[in-house]
Amino acid sequence: MILEATSPLIAVVFSVLVGSLLMVLVGKSPVQVFGVMFRFCLGRADSFGTILFKATPLIFSGLAVGLALRAGILNIGVEGQYLTGAILAAWVGFGVKGLPGFVHLPLAVAAGMVGGALWSLVPALLKVRRGAHEVISTIMMNYIAQHLVHYLIADVFMDKMQMPIPGLGSARVRTPLIAKTAMIPKVHGLLALLGIALPKHTYANWLLPFGVALAVATYYLVWKTPFGYEVRSVGHNPGAAEASGIRVAETRLKAFVLSGTIAGLVGLSDLLCYFGYMDVDFPKGYGFTGVAVALLGRNSAAGIVAAAFLFAFLDRGAEGIQALASVPMDVIVILQGVMILSIVVAAEVVGRYARNLQRKEAARG
Amino acid sequence: MSLVGEFVAEMMASAIRMGIPILLAALGAIFSERSGVINIGLEGMMMFGAFFGALGSYLGGPVLGLALAIAGGTALAFVHAMGSVTFRVNQIVSGVALNILAYGCVRFSSITIFKMATTSPHVAKLASIDVPSLSRIPVLRPLFGGVSPMVPLAVCLALASYWLIQRTVFGLRLRAVGENPLAADTVGVPVPPLRYVGVLLSGALAGLAGAYLSIEHTGMYVEGMTQGKGYIALAATIFGDWSPLRASAVAMLFGFAESLSFRVVEGGTIPYQFIKMIPYAMTLAVLAGVVGRSRPPASSGVPYEREGE
Repeated sequence: MILEATSPLIAVVFSVLVGSLLMVLVGKSPVQVFGVMFRFCLGRADSFGTILFKATPLIFSGLAVGLALRAGILNIGVEGQYLTGAILAAWVGFGVKGLPGFVHLPLAVAAGMVGGALWSLVPALLKVRRGAHEVISTIMMNYIAQHLVHYLIADVFMDKMQMPIPGLGSARVRTPLIAKTAMIPKVHGLLALLGIALPKHTYANWLLPFGVALAVATYYLVWKTPFGYEVRSVGHNPGAAEASGIRVAETRLKAFVLSGTIAGLVGLSDLLCYFGYMDVDFPKGYGFTGVAVALLGRNSAAGIVAAAFLFAFLDRGAEGIQALASVPMDVIVILQGVMILSIVVAAEVVGRYARNLQRKEAARG
Repeated sequence: MSLVGEFVAEMMASAIRMGIPILLAALGAIFSERSGVINIGLEGMMMFGAFFGALGSYLGGPVLGLALAIAGGTALAFVHAMGSVTFRVNQIVSGVALNILAYGCVRFSSITIFKMATTSPHVAKLASIDVPSLSRIPVLRPLFGGVSPMVPLAVCLALASYWLIQRTVFGLRLRAVGENPLAADTVGVPVPPLRYVGVLLSGALAGLAGAYLSIEHTGMYVEGMTQGKGYIALAATIFGDWSPLRASAVAMLFGFAESLSFRVVEGGTIPYQFIKMIPYAMTLAVLAGVVGRSRPPASSGVPYEREGE
């Protein structure tokens, strides 16, 4: 058990070493750069707010990947699912008018979930009905989503009424602005009660506590409900699950679509708190980072939340070292990749070692 | 009449230009998957090829560019092989990690070397070929005049891959390892070394595919220039039933779809974004068994572990 928990630690240490090596290669002192990173992240109130904001989409993304993984499904399609979720939420946000906030906002969030769910339904059905491998099909769905969303933004929803930006010749390719009633409030008031003052230009919002609550809910779902038991059985050993009377196809379908539903929430923190519209440069890559988050968090609810915060911390730190130590912030992307690789290798090696120990003990007993 | 002819020839030439990188990467995917290793990291290896190809051409001409691109793709493939063959980790996870890693490495290197995150300076191309006499016929000019030497190279590589996989002892062993590693191991075929070779070959070919994009097609490195072509190559592989010749044909078909998407922008009846979806939608149709069934090598994606290890 203790051995199991060591692999994320090994992965983090190893990737920090790789990062240090890179810094030495470009002629910087790693100690100094990491020092800058920690001071930048921990010493400023706006860094704290930004880390909270950056962690939010990653929590949802990690939970979405993690839940599917429990059923033995690798949902690489979170990337496309959050785009379709976001465009649907945006549409409800700017298209529906005259609703009070307490109806409009939940409606927009629900639209996001529906958008994600619908987009995951296609690969889910292809998997259970036709046996199509979900990894290839979700990657294809990601690209289709990208082009579809591009089409919707540029040709269908394009805001033709927008004010031209001074100095910029043409109008932005973006949707109309989302109504105030569908925007998510920030958590600044709540944190002020706790004595933490967040600067105005940070965007930590109520989706964060919602995400943490969702993490608790998925923990409950996976470990304390019959459905969760079925999901875990299917993920662990589909043959045995089938033999014990669990409907494997149905369970996979439900878990896949549930994962897509959560994925639909990934883009909403950016959409409904920061941008207030969707354009062709909407943030990309949360889905892939979600794979890293779920793996690093060893797919436990607490682990996913912790890993999301770690990645948010690194991401913010990267901005700091680029500005203050002139190390390209992409070093953090490299760290992410190294972390995923080293965690799966470490888990495998540690697991093999543990199995060997067990085998030896069994032989002795 | 000749106007139509010229248009058709120009379309075909454009389809070939767009199809070549997909073809090369698909050949790579075939070597890897035939040996039993899924290579989602193809996209990242192409990114490496595109960047290091441009870097090599910038430093010492296009030939050095090709060499560096192949080396870069192979180096990344080596990491994939270590992960999926030696450490037997989930091959898809390893591939996804490599794509993230490659994206970061390429941006980092680009800033460090070129002082720009997203582009390199213009770099030299290989000397283009004018096919004697054919290139002088006006109608055929687009197809046979000013052709990149990598086009005939890609055709040769496709034929060579077919021969290597279907007609040689090496190919037989490679396929055996991908279909049934236990049986192969029992008769003394070394499973891990063959899988290493399969993965490394795929990295070399993906690197070459990336180099084609930066050196030959654009004349510079541009961030994101692979545009998911690594994944499309996987699709061509599936659609082409893991056969080098059929996958090459599919790659050309995808290239045609892509070149079509540039031309319907002016037409305007179908939004070009929908034309761009064609390769992906076709792949989904193949996966769903709507357009013929294809069968992957039986042990593709399954790590091989000897009893008692």
